[in-house]
Amino acid sequence: MSNIATPAAPDALPDTGALPRKNADAAPVVVYDKVVKRFGALTVLNGVSAQVNKGEVVCLIGPSGSGKSTLLRCTNALETVDGGRVVFEGAPLPSKEAEVRQIRRRMGMVFQNFELFPHMTALENVAVGPITILGADPAQARAKAQALLEKVGLGAKSGNHPSALSGGQQQRVAIARALAMDPDVMLFDEPTSALDPETIGEVLNVMKRLAEEGMTMIVVTHEMSFARRVANWILVFDEGRVIEEGPPARIFDAPVQPRTRNFLSHLGWSG
Amino acid sequence: MTLDWSIIWQHRGDLAHGVLLTVALSVLTMAIAVPGGVAVMLMRQSPLRPLSWVGTVFVEFFRNVPLILLVYWAFYVLPILADVQFSAFATGLMALCLNVSAYNAETFRAGVNSIRKGQMEAAMAMGMSRSQAMRKVILPQAVRRILPVVASTWVSLFKDTSLVSVIAVGELAHTALQIRSQSFRVLEMLTAMAAIYWALGYPQAKLVDWIHRKYGVTE
Repeated sequence: MSNIATPAAPDALPDTGALPRKNADAAPVVVYDKVVKRFGALTVLNGVSAQVNKGEVVCLIGPSGSGKSTLLRCTNALETVDGGRVVFEGAPLPSKEAEVRQIRRRMGMVFQNFELFPHMTALENVAVGPITILGADPAQARAKAQALLEKVGLGAKSGNHPSALSGGQQQRVAIARALAMDPDVMLFDEPTSALDPETIGEVLNVMKRLAEEGMTMIVVTHEMSFARRVANWILVFDEGRVIEEGPPARIFDAPVQPRTRNFLSHLGWSG
Repeated sequence: MTLDWSIIWQHRGDLAHGVLLTVALSVLTMAIAVPGGVAVMLMRQSPLRPLSWVGTVFVEFFRNVPLILLVYWAFYVLPILADVQFSAFATGLMALCLNVSAYNAETFRAGVNSIRKGQMEAAMAMGMSRSQAMRKVILPQAVRRILPVVASTWVSLFKDTSLVSVIAVGELAHTALQIRSQSFRVLEMLTAMAAIYWALGYPQAKLVDWIHRKYGVTE
């Protein structure tokens, strides 16, 4: 993570106004308005503005430490912003704990390390949110949890504890757990970074299907082929800023910024 | 030297009574020191400074004072300070509770703190309140880590109850030592005492081993 206490002159952002965006005429789901986040003397987000429309898959890419995950964690107030604001469905994120909880119910989050609850079975992991938070009828919540596990291809594993599941299976349970709350938007924080290569595909396939169903998704990822194929919009991060944004074809095939080209070539991306 | 093992059989009633008191002391101490430990842990974790300070002082004091000193202190000093006279049994129980509560508080604190930060975050990200996350996610996991340690504390406690014999609580050690000094059958009584403690303690230790195997696993 680089310290940008003395910021370089911001790159002139290429004008993206002319590029078509999915559901541009509907109200955006999430708007980041000049978001600033500092950890001590370190400025991790240095005025990030971006928007996520309904039904869009927005992928956040860029080098490690460029602020992608921090922005994602600001979206559901796991981190508080030091400047600017995050607007969710038309209203800035509240600061009162009880109001924040109401917002979080409508955002599903999937973590790099799954963070399944190890003392619960897969089914209980998926059902616990609706039962505990929404006061759902336990029998109904379990039936719905079973249906969600079947949706992610794990209907037969509902009685297993996380320790008896592979990484890819655990992450699919984690996706089902987030979906159980019927979220308006799904946040993915490097969902495949902790996985063995052979299980990455099964998780990406579930995410792809989710995107096809029209789920609004914000995805921090290093999986460039996923971003290229599934995303509607790409935000390229570097040193706490969005240095370039656009549809995947534009970002991957004709990046404007030298730093974007540099980042992609480091990943061996050849288009 | 002639040994007379019949002395043990002659005093079987007294010894059985001693065993009963030893078990009662252990059970009562743990029954009080578990909620006591939770209370002290919560005090220690409290955002209120004076409260957390009291909790910390409690733990650091009662954990680091020799139990036998605590027993004497409770017996001789407490009645003067508090101006009440407790029975020897109540005094011994109190000393044991203070000591074991301090240990339990530390055990519970370590157990809760050992749960990954991401677990709390995952629960909060779903929209759980902090107390819901504690109840549903953190504590059930912490208990599995705490249980083996509390079981070990129990085994120590069972033997440590012998220390209250110094204030004439008639538990197993005191009873056996009384019989010894009246009958001069030193070797027989000490051997019997060791055998009884071992016979009672060994199955408990085995049970603890089993608890360690069952619950002591990491994720």
